[in-house]
Amino acid sequence: MNELVSIVLRSITVSGLATLLASLWSIPLALVLTVFKTRLSRVLLDIFNSLVSIPTVVLGLCLYMILSRSGPLGFLELLYTPLAISIGQALLITPLIVSVLSNSLSRIKENVLETAFALGATSSQAYFALLHEGLPLLVRSILIGFNRAIGELGVALMLGGNIRGYTRVMTTAIALEVVKGNFEQALNLGAVFIVVIVLLTIMIRAIGEK
Amino acid sequence: MSRKILVLAAVVIVAILATYMFYKYFYLSRKTVVIVSTTTSLYATGLLDALAEKFQEKHSNIVLNFVAVGSGEALKRAEKGDADLVLVHAPNLEKKYIEKGVIFNRTIFAYNFFVIVGPKDDPAHIAGLDPVEAFKRIFEAGEKGKALFVSRGDLSGTHVRELIIWKKAGLDPHGRKWYIESGTGMSETLMIANEKKAYTLSDIGTFLKFQKQLKELKILASGDTILFNIYSAYLVKGSSKLKEASLFIEFLKSSKAQKLIANYGVKDYGIPLFYPISSKPLSYLEKAWELLAEGSYE
Repeated sequence: MNELVSIVLRSITVSGLATLLASLWSIPLALVLTVFKTRLSRVLLDIFNSLVSIPTVVLGLCLYMILSRSGPLGFLELLYTPLAISIGQALLITPLIVSVLSNSLSRIKENVLETAFALGATSSQAYFALLHEGLPLLVRSILIGFNRAIGELGVALMLGGNIRGYTRVMTTAIALEVVKGNFEQALNLGAVFIVVIVLLTIMIRAIGEK
Repeated sequence: MSRKILVLAAVVIVAILATYMFYKYFYLSRKTVVIVSTTTSLYATGLLDALAEKFQEKHSNIVLNFVAVGSGEALKRAEKGDADLVLVHAPNLEKKYIEKGVIFNRTIFAYNFFVIVGPKDDPAHIAGLDPVEAFKRIFEAGEKGKALFVSRGDLSGTHVRELIIWKKAGLDPHGRKWYIESGTGMSETLMIANEKKAYTLSDIGTFLKFQKQLKELKILASGDTILFNIYSAYLVKGSSKLKEASLFIEFLKSSKAQKLIANYGVKDYGIPLFYPISSKPLSYLEKAWELLAEGSYE
């Protein structure tokens, strides 16, 4: 029981950190891509839209090659640490957050910017207003990102190694139970996992849309 | 405004937990962390965790981090420099990596057997046959549409052994309709074999552990040298933790560890999942290893 709680908490922490990291660059990026509609931004958006579907194992493997002791960033000794999973997941969900946020911001962009300029706002004030008005959308995109991060297996397995008490998260724990042949235990863990995710999602949405 | 406070609270909580995680990371790094890339069968049975616990009673300053993957991947990860110790059971793969200079200091520390399992009515009539002959019969029955075979297909120790047996039988089942390559772990492969009433090769440990759920299957052939499953530990060249890794290998050979291996699983399954090396002359095991290392599968 104790181990289960720590696995759940670790999952939330690792993926929470991943989401925070991803938000750092994804939110400004989405805003820029929404506001400045140039040919470049459209191409970039297309790329992000398609990268949403990158297989997690492929990303995990690429990062493994980079973080491996024989890879270019091997000296950081990040492989098989929770931070490595966070970084991997942050990169994984970046296209998703950018894509979702940018799409939803585009829908309210015209109205908000027009009103803001009519009220005499400078451009930076207007963009800030866009972000402020879009706060529920922002929360929703970040939440989608978080859910993708916490539910993925490939990156956590490749970069974390599923080390007990250290890098074992919900998804890798479930995968291990399957390998062990304990299908029932795997399903139980899956049920716990889904309950946790649903509760978290409802909570965060309630906060974000109050 | 309470919204902002709540959002802030959420961020603070994640930040605190993350700090704790880092604290633990540095705490761990003050101890010596030995990364052990190991074959799944050793880990999934729980044996390694039991061994590590015993080991740490004496060496509390060493942390063993197990990364459980197939034998092929375990050796590959060692080659990339991402493991200090390897525990594997695929002699002919091991030999390749010994020759490449990736791993050294082989220490055989346990063994058990592979078994050919299949449907209870045994449509290919292989019960009691030697493995090579059994595979020939399965091939024939498969061609006639009477039998199926599920292969791991993942270059794991078990898969490589299966390929060696096919090779010895002079047959190539790849691409045949009755030859299913699952690409999954042992337990999933057994599950598929059970569903499809097919034959497959399994290590005895995983089969016993999982037997209750495999109502359609039973052990049909075992005990031959070619089904000998030898687990070896290796040090990895270039590792900075050679001293600590050697300590664990020494421990694996110790009577304390060997006793644990001999008794592991007896309570739950009636017979041990692994056998200690003391139960066979070491020269016998070494010879069997050499024989298997020569086995070609390509």
